[in-house]
Amino acid sequence: MPTDSTGSHIIRMVLESHFLVIRQFCCYTRALRSENKVTVSFINRDGEKVTVKGSPGDSLLDVVIEQDLDIDGFGACEGTLACSTCHLIFDEDVFNQLGPITDEEMDMLDLAYGLTDTSRLGCQVCLTKSLEGITVRVPESVADMRESDFGTTSSSS
Amino acid sequence: MALLKKMRHLHLRILPVTAENRHFLLRTRGFHKHSTCQSLPAVEENVLPGNFSAAAVGKDGPLKTLKDMAGPSTISNIIEFFFRDGFSRIHEIQQQHSQKYGRIFKSRFGPQLVVSIADRDMIAEVLRAEGVAPQRANMESWKEYRDMRGRATGLISAEGEDWLKMRSVLRQQIMRPRDVAVFADDISGVVTDLVARVRALRGRQPDGLTVLNVNDLFFKYAMEGISVVLYEQRLGCLEERIPQLSLEYIAALHLMFSSFKTSMYAGAIPKWLRPLIPKPWEEFCHSWDGLFKFSKVHVDRRLSEIQGQLAAGQEVKGGLLTCLLVTKELTLEEIYANMTEMLLAGVDTTSFTLSWSTYLLALHPQVQQQIYEEVVSTLGPDKVPVSEDLPRLPLIRGLVKETLRLFPVLPGNGRITQKNLAVGGYLIPAGTQLALCHYTTSLDEGSFPNAAQFLPQRWVRKDATDRVDNFGSIPFGYGIRSCVGRRIAELEMHLALTQLIQKFHIQVSPLTEEVRAKTHGLLTPGAPINVRFVDRQ
Ligand code: FES
Repeated sequence: MPTDSTGSHIIRMVLESHFLVIRQFCCYTRALRSENKVTVSFINRDGEKVTVKGSPGDSLLDVVIEQDLDIDGFGACEGTLACSTCHLIFDEDVFNQLGPITDEEMDMLDLAYGLTDTSRLGCQVCLTKSLEGITVRVPESVADMRESDFGTTSSSS
Repeated sequence: MALLKKMRHLHLRILPVTAENRHFLLRTRGFHKHSTCQSLPAVEENVLPGNFSAAAVGKDGPLKTLKDMAGPSTISNIIEFFFRDGFSRIHEIQQQHSQKYGRIFKSRFGPQLVVSIADRDMIAEVLRAEGVAPQRANMESWKEYRDMRGRATGLISAEGEDWLKMRSVLRQQIMRPRDVAVFADDISGVVTDLVARVRALRGRQPDGLTVLNVNDLFFKYAMEGISVVLYEQRLGCLEERIPQLSLEYIAALHLMFSSFKTSMYAGAIPKWLRPLIPKPWEEFCHSWDGLFKFSKVHVDRRLSEIQGQLAAGQEVKGGLLTCLLVTKELTLEEIYANMTEMLLAGVDTTSFTLSWSTYLLALHPQVQQQIYEEVVSTLGPDKVPVSEDLPRLPLIRGLVKETLRLFPVLPGNGRITQKNLAVGGYLIPAGTQLALCHYTTSLDEGSFPNAAQFLPQRWVRKDATDRVDNFGSIPFGYGIRSCVGRRIAELEMHLALTQLIQKFHIQVSPLTEEVRAKTHGLLTPGAPINVRFVDRQ
């Protein structure tokens, strides 16, 4: 009966013999990358504007991760359409240019905090050359709400 | 000064609770499979959490403490659950209590305090405030079995970092809709067998039309469907003669399910009492042995195939299991545990939902006709649906959503707060067991007008900008600890229902009277559902 060490043995064999393992379904295909990066600006929750570059085909969540943008709680489910913490708000003309929205994205978007008419999930929006120069806004988070409304006082009943 | 007095008062109220009797009382709650076994430090109702040295203030004024919260008394709970079999009516009790005590209320089971939340917006607040590794409930008896047998925990039973690691690996493989779509062909193959099985089974009845206890059939479909995804193998559950190994697995799963209540007590009965009342714990272990054995056989089979392919210098190709075995992001024991738990989680849940869908379709011929017309106008009478067809079948998606709204397979879910939380005007300290009452919210008129009616149409959007505030019905949960098998389950249900509706007119059998829901860990049909499948052409 194979044990864990047999398992690791196999894995070693796989690695050593350089077999091509085709991860049929787990490969995350990105559109062909060109050298030409796309410039995107994010307006953070505190109103600060950060401008970064991303590759065409990357999702806005990829950009946030790769550029190490510090947005608390953003992309909790790593782009697997189980949260909606990657919620971003677009300008209307940009919103209309974005690719089609799937049913699954709409379902998760319904659960997003601070939803607007031009909201999308950042993990589902991929960069294209035509999006050069766009600005997206990170909506206020639940945590921000709580901080401003939820304090302690020294007086007691 | 008043506060000081309050604190002294409370001090007196902390009763000495021995580890043993607390353990027992804690286990006697019954929300559902995932939140039953508790062993938490009892949260004291009127202690303000450490960092709130004085009264905390929420957005609508000072926050109340748990002491101010209404709820049924401990005694009435004991009577309800133990003497009136409240366990099978938990979903209804949830509704009654929320009507009587409000949308947030507390219940006590001995020293265990449970705060129930039956409000869409409050549930949203709780789930949105979640950290990186939310905890559902303490799964002590599950863990004890695994420790005893030297096994790993899987996604259901693991917590904290262990959980997070496994979740990160697994979600990358089976959560993205586009990744899951590759399983559609395999699942369609299973649906073809399901249709053939419907024909074979109804042929045995005097009217040549009725399938008795349709859940039995859907159970086998769900098991076959999830297995092609998990094990990359057909099990033969929909064949006339089911292979012995699969039969054994079905028996183990039935045992696990039928002894749900006893297995709840299995964890509840203190260890020193086990020699006197050995059966629950023995059955619990016995069914787990059966479930693990099955996964192990299938995982090991694939492992030796891979070894063979490597030895022969062949390329190794495959799906989920192959990927897990080859990349070794999880240990072999973790793979066994997750395969076991995912299979366990993916059978009854899917089969009950399919049974309810069929039942609802049979009861509502006009709705069924509407969906049938959508299916035929999209696919024609014969085309087998592929995953690309599903976006063009909004009523099929609506059917599944509406079924899960009326019969949420998990009528409630559990969470243990990981930090202090302000919800509904109350300050809820970290470490409190919450029960999110999904059954109640999904039948709430405020969120769903004509809530008692079966209206798949309510889920169909006018256009892509049409938004539905649907926190009231989140059958798969929300966020990082939501159902990992959601997209697979949806695919299995969408493909099966599309073909069944396309091929058959589903009718109520005179053998079936009104079927009510019963909680048995999951929300299950309280009686067998018998339906007629009449050929459309
Ligand atoms: S990261 Fe979770 S839905 Fe986008």
